[in-house]
Amino acid sequence: MDMSGEQRIPAPQQMVWDSLYDPEVLKLCIPGCDSVEKTSETEFTAKVVVAVGPVKAKFTGDVSLLDIDAPNSCTISGKGNGGIAGFGKGNAKVELTADGNDTILKYTAQASVGGKLAQIGARLVDSTAKKLADEFFKRFVAHMTEKAASGRA
Amino acid sequence: MYNFEYRRAQSVAEAAKLIKEADDGKILAGGMTLIPTLKQRLAQPSDLIDIGKIAELKGISVSGKTLTIKAMTRHFDVHSSPEVKKAIPALAVLAGGIGDPSVRHRGTIGGSTANADPAADYPAGIVGLGATIETNKRKIAADDFFTGLFETALEPGELIIAVHFPIPDKAGYLKFAHLASGYATCGVMVSKTGNQVRVGVTGAGPNAFRVPEMEAALAKTFTPDAIANIKYPADELLSDMHASAEYRAHLVTVIAKRAVAAALA
Repeated sequence: MDMSGEQRIPAPQQMVWDSLYDPEVLKLCIPGCDSVEKTSETEFTAKVVVAVGPVKAKFTGDVSLLDIDAPNSCTISGKGNGGIAGFGKGNAKVELTADGNDTILKYTAQASVGGKLAQIGARLVDSTAKKLADEFFKRFVAHMTEKAASGRA
Repeated sequence: MYNFEYRRAQSVAEAAKLIKEADDGKILAGGMTLIPTLKQRLAQPSDLIDIGKIAELKGISVSGKTLTIKAMTRHFDVHSSPEVKKAIPALAVLAGGIGDPSVRHRGTIGGSTANADPAADYPAGIVGLGATIETNKRKIAADDFFTGLFETALEPGELIIAVHFPIPDKAGYLKFAHLASGYATCGVMVSKTGNQVRVGVTGAGPNAFRVPEMEAALAKTFTPDAIANIKYPADELLSDMHASAEYRAHLVTVIAKRAVAAALA
């Protein structure tokens, strides 16, 4: 499945770039995230509970940042294991461009899900992935708006 | 299936108390979605609180211009009820098309409504008929109830008691069902009461929604042709292996036209 989108974030580009690397920010913004730990400069481990309708599964995922061109673009690559529930993996190419005081964040992502979750939830996997991505960016934009506002004040 | 505590509540008050006390409890209605999920180990609740045997949650009644269906009434009972067939025949048609015979004999209106599956039939009926959801805490209008993919206005521990349907002059329900599952790829309930028209759509978006543009056109002329050129924007609709958002947008118009024709028949 492919997803793409564009978000206008009312914060300077460098601040947005730094936040994408900040485990605390990621923990706040990833829906259902219990913890994010930095294992190296470009690698993270995250624990996430995905709860949609009747399904509630715990995932442990490894996330790494590749092709880094600071503070303009990078590729976020991740794979997650939900034990018996299944597994997922995906890549997202993220590009930041400054537009006045704002930053435009563009992403294109490919994701795939396997195991039981994919068999049972085939008709809902795409919609759920989109819902989670929307939720992440909604929280991220809200967080950055607040952060930029307090920084400027 | 993982281990859990099974508790059978004898009353709504007891069920509310049990769910509040439970560590990570789930309400069990007909179990047509929850039990398969548990069997696949895709959820691990600490407690299941069974409300399927609570007598005060069963039954169908008509009072004035309102049809009331209690939450634990099975789809088959709604489908075959003389009261429903007389008051809102389109709702009897809707209930008779849910899933398969086993699902219709076990599944309940309250369970289906609370689960808010994007492709379930009842949400279209609730939105398209402008029903009111009565819970153990308050009454919620149809327009405020379905808030997203599997998301409703229900708070944790809040239980649906009954669904109250205002009886329309005319109504029609039709769905384009997925061949294997029977789920609605797109389903539309159209109703007309006086000069007021409601169009409720399920299966096409993350949750059931109304189409105000079609409602306005149908309020002027209640015929299928009145909405033939009204297209719903595809960018708000679901896209998956069964149907693209563009195809679903096309279906909204086609199925709504047929639902109007069914209402007039």
